[in-house]
Amino acid sequence: MVDYRFNEEQELFRESIKEFCASEIAPKTEKLEGARQMPEDVIKALANFELLGLVIDPEYGGLGTDVVTAGIAVEELARTDLSCAIPVLFLVETSWGHVLDKYGTEEAKKEILPKMIKGEQIVGIATTESDIGSDLGSMKTKISKKGNKYVINGEKMYISGVAEAVEYGGGHVTLAKMTPEKGTRGMSLFYLPLKDTPGITPTYVEDIGREAISCGGFDIKNVEIPKHYLIGEENKGFYIVHEGYELARGLISLVCAGAAAKALENGIAYIKERKAFGRPIGKYEGIQFKLAEHHVRIQALRDLGYKALWTYNQEMQGKASRFEVSMAIAMAKSVAPIWAFDAINDVMQWQGAFGYTKECEDQKAWRGVRSFTLAEGSSEIMKLIIARELLGKEFLAYR
Amino acid sequence: MKLIVCVKQVPDTTEVKVDPKTHTLIRDGVPSILNPYDHYAVEECVRIKEKIGEGSVTVITMGPPQARSALMRCLAIGADDAVLISDKVFAGSDTFATAYTLSQAIRKLGPFDMVFCGQQAIDGDTAQVGPELAQQLGIPQVTYVEKIEIDDKHKLTIHKQTEDGYHILETKAPILLALLPPASFQPEHPPMSSILKAKKKPFNVWDAKVLGGDESKFGLEGSFTQVIKTYSPPSRGKCEIIEGEDKEAAKKLGDILLKHEALTKR
Repeated sequence: MVDYRFNEEQELFRESIKEFCASEIAPKTEKLEGARQMPEDVIKALANFELLGLVIDPEYGGLGTDVVTAGIAVEELARTDLSCAIPVLFLVETSWGHVLDKYGTEEAKKEILPKMIKGEQIVGIATTESDIGSDLGSMKTKISKKGNKYVINGEKMYISGVAEAVEYGGGHVTLAKMTPEKGTRGMSLFYLPLKDTPGITPTYVEDIGREAISCGGFDIKNVEIPKHYLIGEENKGFYIVHEGYELARGLISLVCAGAAAKALENGIAYIKERKAFGRPIGKYEGIQFKLAEHHVRIQALRDLGYKALWTYNQEMQGKASRFEVSMAIAMAKSVAPIWAFDAINDVMQWQGAFGYTKECEDQKAWRGVRSFTLAEGSSEIMKLIIARELLGKEFLAYR
Repeated sequence: MKLIVCVKQVPDTTEVKVDPKTHTLIRDGVPSILNPYDHYAVEECVRIKEKIGEGSVTVITMGPPQARSALMRCLAIGADDAVLISDKVFAGSDTFATAYTLSQAIRKLGPFDMVFCGQQAIDGDTAQVGPELAQQLGIPQVTYVEKIEIDDKHKLTIHKQTEDGYHILETKAPILLALLPPASFQPEHPPMSSILKAKKKPFNVWDAKVLGGDESKFGLEGSFTQVIKTYSPPSRGKCEIIEGEDKEAAKKLGDILLKHEALTKR
């Protein structure tokens, strides 16, 4: 039988994080719009509530919880910061902290993870370049051995958290080609510190949403890193990076569910009050049908998102296959931003001209969730993964 | 020092609505929370234990099995162990039967120094269980307690809220204190590490048989009060919104207050 209940710790955690969000995060959300960099006090608040080390091994200062618990955290953060900036910071740190924890060298873990957990350093992800996103095999950034070190040359672009890593300290889990002739089988993953690193030149772009986390890139010119920053084995980076992406995608599904659920609640309150032609607009079927459809989709999305994270957990314990994880994660992520965007879009429509102003809180969610049809694997790639698992690898669209 | 806190799980009254026809509370789908007054009592009790650097904090509640989550919350805040008193026999208890049941549990726990309660629960608002429990235990009590200081010799200095300010009282254990949080009180939200620790702390469930005592004093049978009917009082008077510019509105308000003799003209 299926048991959909969260366990006792998770229920208590949700209760506690709701209060944390109401008292510690909600008052900080006003200053997030236009910030273009996560304020340090927000990162410290997340760290003080021990959110940044949830899934990390206690040996490095984490709590060692399962990833479903991280899903609860990110859902509640998204309900509070509708712009999705704080959830993005959380999910990036969680996913790539997890990859470091699982595949990093002992020396790197001891050096990086405790600082990340305390909110003293950022850990991000950098795979995308100016001309490549989904097609990682075509990336230009290269890493090569030089004695006891590695040397990196290239560039990364459309990366979250660059300004934070440059300012506060930290770095990005970065993918580069080590053996180019081997394609995706010749890529290595490593930790690249950004603050005060000779050869790193950051650049910035302005995202249309989630304005409180920076987006940008960095040129990498003859940057040397120590050997212990390699994550996993050489030339295995492409496979390892997908473990991080899958966790991030599962968490994103719940960011979308959380932001859309909160927007729908805002919409419900509005349509009960707002009158047109003598009665509340919530009495019109045209509104009610949409409301019902979006409610069902958001609930289905929560189920898909938590199922995806649960499956991820099962795989970590050897109880599920890679096939099951890829499928569950891709299913959730393929629809999450689209369903969430549609729901929020209708909530804005219900609010008439006000819905199209920046006074309307829901427009932040509308701009925020829109990013997730692209970030951490586009909606189209998610569908290709689902089709790949259904049809078999001989039907791969990209080979 | 052995410290005991009595707590109650209550419906979140900010979410409770009254059925307009039956006048009863609609509890369906309303989340249950730890009574905020009790939350404060637990936090204060844990603070005192930490101040004196020794002893233990036991939390007790009487309620259905679901009340476990309120006790788990207390353990996450810092209590050391918990007792859930749960049995169908206890259903329908009024404040007297509740106080009797709690007193039985406290006696069963053995010698104690202080018992803490919230001043009242947000669902019933009677503020009777604390004082009745002190009576049952045969110990002194102080109500409306906001702050407790304790010195090296365990002398207690208590700040009791009054309408005009505070009474400062000096006393010693054993005693029951009913706590009323200051308006600025913000409940602590325990992080995950505290929740994980809570899960490992001793948790006992006692039914009527384990508890012992006089069964005729439990539940509905042991209650002096029986609820016949719950209803919303009929609305009295009417509300009038005064509109207009500040000065004009203030004058209108003044005129109304004078008319009803709430103010007198000098």
